[in-house]
Amino acid sequence: MRRTYLAVSVAIFAGLLVAAWVTHDTGIKINDPENNIFIPTELTTTLQVKASYDNENIYFRYRWPVVRPSLFHDVLVYRDGNWEREKGGVGPSENFLNEDRVSMMIDDGSVPLFSRYGGYITIGDRLTTFTGAPKGGDERTKYLPDTRTDPNNFDSVKAESDLDILREAGYFIDLWQWRSSRSNPVGLGDDGFVAEERSGDQGVGPYYTNWDKELNQPKFMFDQQVTGQNALNFDDVVAGNYNFDDAYYLSDATAIAFDPNIEWKNGDTIPRRMLRAEEGSRGDVVQPSASRWEDGYWDVTLVRQLDTGNPLDDKIFRDKGSYDLAFAVFRNASTMRWHYVSLPMSLGLETDAQLVASKFAGDAPGWEQDWTEVKMFYPGQVSWGRLTDPKTHPGADKIAERVPVAYRHSEKQLALYGVEVEFAGAIYNQWLLTLFASLLLIVAMGININLLITRRES
Amino acid sequence: MAVYHILVSHFPIALWLTAYLFIALRTFSDAQIIVSLEKSIWPLILLGSLAGAIAYIIGLQIYPWSAITQSPLGRNHIMLATWTLSYWTVMGILGFKLRRHLFEGAQKWIAFTLGSIGALVVVITGTLGGSLTGTPSLVTKSLSYVGWNVYTTFYIPTWMLAVFVLGAIVLVVLGFAGRRYKN
Repeated sequence: MRRTYLAVSVAIFAGLLVAAWVTHDTGIKINDPENNIFIPTELTTTLQVKASYDNENIYFRYRWPVVRPSLFHDVLVYRDGNWEREKGGVGPSENFLNEDRVSMMIDDGSVPLFSRYGGYITIGDRLTTFTGAPKGGDERTKYLPDTRTDPNNFDSVKAESDLDILREAGYFIDLWQWRSSRSNPVGLGDDGFVAEERSGDQGVGPYYTNWDKELNQPKFMFDQQVTGQNALNFDDVVAGNYNFDDAYYLSDATAIAFDPNIEWKNGDTIPRRMLRAEEGSRGDVVQPSASRWEDGYWDVTLVRQLDTGNPLDDKIFRDKGSYDLAFAVFRNASTMRWHYVSLPMSLGLETDAQLVASKFAGDAPGWEQDWTEVKMFYPGQVSWGRLTDPKTHPGADKIAERVPVAYRHSEKQLALYGVEVEFAGAIYNQWLLTLFASLLLIVAMGININLLITRRES
Repeated sequence: MAVYHILVSHFPIALWLTAYLFIALRTFSDAQIIVSLEKSIWPLILLGSLAGAIAYIIGLQIYPWSAITQSPLGRNHIMLATWTLSYWTVMGILGFKLRRHLFEGAQKWIAFTLGSIGALVVVITGTLGGSLTGTPSLVTKSLSYVGWNVYTTFYIPTWMLAVFVLGAIVLVVLGFAGRRYKN
């Protein structure tokens, strides 16, 4: 009988261990839109890149998987006499109202640490969409640490004269962007920067807001004579029934001034962005032609002059030069921080690097070279302040020693860590409780064995 | 402190795994030389626990508590190290109190099972330590094949915590209930 008790006890102990193994890592990581928390189903993906250049221009070609292309960003929908804004929110947009995007950060060695830590250095104090970020006010964008008197205080921006000196010294990151809704239909990219903020270069960007605040109505609608319609249908927008052959975007070629006297009906939909030609330095990055999504992939090409003549806005490329890049892709109708990023990688113009841009002769690159595969990962909510503080990151001393992130962490690992940071407090508490409960179980098992082991006489 | 932690950690690992080797040998053999090894099992385990306690204390000095407990890998290493130390200490006390009785009849299989669990926990703790210092092993990868990515914190849901506490109570009650019987 005693042996039966012992066997049952061991079975209970082993069963509890198995149950713990099966149920671990559950019950905490639950999406919480109120606190800006949404964890993507896929934590990693792959971006394919090629680069080519000639004596004038440099081309980058990007290819990444997207199940369904998102051709719209935010839209205006007519409902019972009013035009209402419809847009995506936290995580992926169910209505596919977040555009797909690719962006690329470029540095020429002027920004310390970018080559080692990439975009992490731009993630400052409680940026917009981070849990606990101040609500309202201007967007709290990425910024570079040295643009603040205290890098961990978003509001401690240095004096304009100091920022100018930093800019002259090349302390900014060039930022190229392509947007499936707000730039692609008219064959444009968007040229920006990250310094004291993330913003567009000097000049005019590829879009502006199609909304007349005074009249509380859109400024533009579709030109019936050109597009055969005054508006799109919201159900068709949500269902993805518009494609590249349709006039689904507003531009000088497809739009006319809004007419409130038309008999609008519920569900009529007008894009909230009007596309336009770019001007100035902001218009440096363009496409050879509008890009297309095909067979589950976006295939995007951007081109820019090697030397734009705007050295305070752009990193100037030179033959045989070496640079550092970091990428981000937005897919499956997600925006803001719900993107996939890369670790920094080196670019060489016909010189050794992780991504080698090959020189071509003729009118356009032949793209004969193989794709360079770039692992992309969901970064979660990991700020530069957290990473450099020895009280919150065991590897802070390694950062102080300038050990590159790729030496210690893989992309998958960083994605998992990024998710854990979003639930840091709750996971810590649960971990402590698990520690104490398991200790209790071990001690109980010891008492049990001590009581039940049979001691035969000598 | 990291280098000293690594240095000292190898002592308990060696002592506990040697004890496990002797447990395994004793489980499968009644040869005189193997039986004579039986007496050294509990001293090996408790010496291992002493060295383990020292390694544990040194390990906690490497990083600030606030930092190491922000790291999933750090949390896991602390948890596994705590399990290992406590588990083998309990095993050592059992070995001291029960001596040869642990290997009498079918009870030797209990000793072998408990020893095997202990050896497994030692190996996982060690490999997590290696991962933490930037040298992950195949063991780290293997764990992901059986359901645990070590770069996520090991914790159990609240309802399972309650089951653990209940299980602990049941084990103690079973112990007291079962000892009324002679065999």
